Amino acid sequence: MTDQERPVTDDDLHAYVDGVLDAGRRPAVERHLAQHPEAAARVAGWQAVGASLREATAWKAREPVPARLDIARLLEARRARRWQPARVAASILIALAVGAGSGWVARGPHMPTGVAAVAMEAASVHRMFASADGSAAPYDAGAKAELASWLSRELGHPATPPDLSRAGYRLVSGRLVATDLGPACMYLYEGPHGLRITLFMRPMEKRNMNAPMRPMHGAETVGYVWARNGLGFGLVTSEPMETLRGLANEIRDQMSAQI
Amino acid sequence: MPALATLEENIPSLRRYAWSLLRNASDADDLVQDCLVRALDKIGTVRSEGQLRPWLFAIMHNLYINRWRRTKVRAEVSAEDADAEVSVPPAQQAGTEMRDVMRGLAELPPDQRQVILLVAVEGFEYAEVAGMLGIPIGTVMSRLSRARDRLRDFVEGRPQPVLRRVK
Repeated sequence: MTDQERPVTDDDLHAYVDGVLDAGRRPAVERHLAQHPEAAARVAGWQAVGASLREATAWKAREPVPARLDIARLLEARRARRWQPARVAASILIALAVGAGSGWVARGPHMPTGVAAVAMEAASVHRMFASADGSAAPYDAGAKAELASWLSRELGHPATPPDLSRAGYRLVSGRLVATDLGPACMYLYEGPHGLRITLFMRPMEKRNMNAPMRPMHGAETVGYVWARNGLGFGLVTSEPMETLRGLANEIRDQMSAQI
Repeated sequence: MPALATLEENIPSLRRYAWSLLRNASDADDLVQDCLVRALDKIGTVRSEGQLRPWLFAIMHNLYINRWRRTKVRAEVSAEDADAEVSVPPAQQAGTEMRDVMRGLAELPPDQRQVILLVAVEGFEYAEVAGMLGIPIGTVMSRLSRARDRLRDFVEGRPQPVLRRVK
């Protein structure tokens, strides 16, 4: 069958109305419309509907675009939003799903660096993994070995996580996490009354980077953050507690002895 | 960046489409804003400028499906909310036919409403609409037929048939 002989279908009629009908098909469709008044009325109705729809909605496209849809403004808001803790948490989660060490986005001008980045990541990791709902990974032999090997590799010699048992805290969980500044690890300790504290460690952007211990305050977290010989530390918990400074000192001393 | 300029050029038609779908100015601009935010995150993945417009409408479609489907569509154009910005309210300028067609549009199932707006107002090709909505082109055509026939019935004052005749 040629283009001329094929029966005219609804698809042809739509293509005719929308101006996308093949030129070779056009005479057959026009003949069909001439011979079938009900088809011609249908097509005319469709054309009128289209014209009315365009006319009835045109004002909206002519309207001035409101300020909140301004592209420059949205770009600025996006830069500011990018490094809110929730976004950091999301980036860590995504990294976990993809796997540590996979490609990562370039850092923009508004992101924290140095121990400020460590503080933000430590807070995110704590909120994610230290909640009391038991989402923390079990600290089994496999996790223990994996973390010990990461820590040893980072420090360049066999190393162990801080022992806080004298202060009444035992190690209950640990895992590797990916941040946009590279792989990191976290240890979760549980103390009296089920208090949970997270120790977060990540190599700093620069080797040999040092930063004195300073307190950090997040929306839902408090803690201390410091860097020693290129390794950043964050000790975080959910509630202010007087003993935290002492624990941070203990960790700093134990780790400094190993670095 | 030329892609950003193209993005900006499309905002008026994104607003028209969103408003035509939702018939509420602030809901529509919320949808457009979400769409732009999403688009700015991913604009680097668009390979050619020609793809940008259908890509934008596809983003909007996905957002609409995920978050806005339950938003009640207002049947009356005149019920346009008070913050309808500075333009002339459509009810005042619209002729009977325009009012009827907009009332008919609001009565259509959302999937038919999307197809007829994308084809007849936004001027997309059938294949682009199929790609955007993630449906076969045959489905685009059948939705377009139903939408056009129903709107024609509305405009020409025929009562709505309960059942469609099988062709």
